[in-house]
Amino acid sequence: MRPILLSGHERALTQVKFSKEGDLIFSVSKDHVVCAWYSANGERFGAYKGHQGALWTVDVDPTTTLLATGGADNTMRLWEVRTGKLLKTWDYATSVKRVEFSEDGRQLLAVTEKRTGQLSTVYIYDISPDPSEPAPSEHALRIVVDEQPRVTVAGFSYLNHFIIMGHEDGSVSQWDAKSGEHIKDNYSHEDGMQVSDLQWSADRTYFLTASKDKTAKLHDTATLEVLKTYTADTPLNSAAICPDPQQYVILGGGQAAMDVTTTSQRQGKFEARFYHKVFEEEIGRVRGHFGPLNSVAVDPTGKCYCSGGEDGYVRVHHFDPPYFDFQFEVEREARAESRI
Amino acid sequence: MATAVQNTPGRTDWAEDGEPELASVLPQPVTTKNKDGTETVVSYYLNEAGKKVKRTQRVRRTVVKKRENPRVAERRQWAKMGPEANKPAGPGDTTTLGENIIFRPQVGFKAGGVQEKAPEEEKKNDALKKMQIKCRICSGDHFTTKCPFKDSMAAPEEGTGEGAGGEGGGDGIDAAGGLGSTTGAYVPIHLRNGRKGEGERMGGKFERDDLATLRVTNVSELAEEQDLRDMFERHGRVTRVFLAKDRETGRAKGFAFVSYADRADAARACERMDGYGFGHLILRVEFAKKADGK
Repeated sequence: MRPILLSGHERALTQVKFSKEGDLIFSVSKDHVVCAWYSANGERFGAYKGHQGALWTVDVDPTTTLLATGGADNTMRLWEVRTGKLLKTWDYATSVKRVEFSEDGRQLLAVTEKRTGQLSTVYIYDISPDPSEPAPSEHALRIVVDEQPRVTVAGFSYLNHFIIMGHEDGSVSQWDAKSGEHIKDNYSHEDGMQVSDLQWSADRTYFLTASKDKTAKLHDTATLEVLKTYTADTPLNSAAICPDPQQYVILGGGQAAMDVTTTSQRQGKFEARFYHKVFEEEIGRVRGHFGPLNSVAVDPTGKCYCSGGEDGYVRVHHFDPPYFDFQFEVEREARAESRI
Repeated sequence: MATAVQNTPGRTDWAEDGEPELASVLPQPVTTKNKDGTETVVSYYLNEAGKKVKRTQRVRRTVVKKRENPRVAERRQWAKMGPEANKPAGPGDTTTLGENIIFRPQVGFKAGGVQEKAPEEEKKNDALKKMQIKCRICSGDHFTTKCPFKDSMAAPEEGTGEGAGGEGGGDGIDAAGGLGSTTGAYVPIHLRNGRKGEGERMGGKFERDDLATLRVTNVSELAEEQDLRDMFERHGRVTRVFLAKDRETGRAKGFAFVSYADRADAARACERMDGYGFGHLILRVEFAKKADGK
């Protein structure tokens, strides 16, 4: 496959996201710019200007009408995807590290950073999908996380029942999305190794966390128990679940100071790693980035994936047929049996 | 009718007044269907110089049906915004195509660059398997060092191996033969079976065998390696051409070395090319003197 290199950013990428149908990619970077691209050919659709600091996070609603971004200028902004118009700005006391729309696009959460004097807080807003209707300034719910270490990532579960958060000490916690009550925790990752990314399965009944402890773990949303663990050899920055029928997960990470090897210098050495979701075995790597991968995202229709790196590039890869045909022996047998 | 014809500007074919239609009216385009499903379209037009040009095109029409999500289709129609507002359709300079990556998931994937080498490694392995392993001592199907007859049959291969008495001491070992490897002692390259350092030279012995290398002098300054190669290729396969160049100006210094794969070719070339006129000078070709140890 030939990766398409998108070089619209001047600084490191912080997050990349696909639209629900997989035709648009949104990328944010430390250079204050949000870019939107067509995933089919890498053509840039446009950019959303307005933020005044490094951008940490982006999310698009399921109808691809609204875009939410959060950054180091202590604001979360809501944009209309089509025109680029800034619809709403929310100001906070600290920078916004994560934004996420709920499954139905009716709610939006923002995670603000913990600083001296400020606790890690998660704000939830009710959003109407109609861009002409103004978004509320008041949050519908605010969760102040005081007993636990700083929140690094968060997301809405299935049916907006829970909010799952990942913390700086490697634990994940579950909160009620209506009342804000803390329900349970799980100290799944190594102590002190922050959870760097949290991505959902297609139906949000399980999620994948990536951590600096060089592992990614698949958790059940309701019980928070660890279903699978994928071990890599570098601290991970991001992990994504490929949609069915492919049973893969993609991990991205990398440490900046790598050993010098005799590989081609035209291609970077930093790799996206593919693991089988069920068997936890590594099945392949794709290299090319010149810096650690900061974010990986998979097209919900499963045809491509993209990775944003520290080198400022977004690489979009459309899979070849061997990717779709690959199966383990047991899978092949199981499929043959079920047909008989 | 005649009046209408005279008023047309740019006309030079008034001599053909009798048949005005032929001159000024372009024939209609003609489309014919070919046997293999293509169409041939013959059309006429006037180019910038006012000349009539006939254009023949062979066209194959294929209809490709693709299903697309209506929302995706709608989004493709959106006008580009922000910095892309007035740019033409299609990827701009922010988008480039990377190098082709072969990504094939496999069970038991091992990292560390092994995967990239896989096709070449497989080729190498295949070559190794096909290679006939022949023992130098008894011509059996095993490597020489593994030969069961190392002791007995190694003896006739003595050569300059008398010096073997020097290895590991002991006159009793002399009888073991020139190889010396029979006793397990190390035999230096220059004392081994065979000629001096045969096959051990850096670059492989077929690269620059000096007996197949010619020294060409009185070469014109304007000569280039490719010219020399072409000239000498007529006599046989040329493995290497070295043209002595002045480092600063890049012009030829006046001599060159041409290596052939075959010694006989070199000899033939030597005879033929000596005295050959190249540029404004006459070439002098001779066998290169063996490289002196410095």
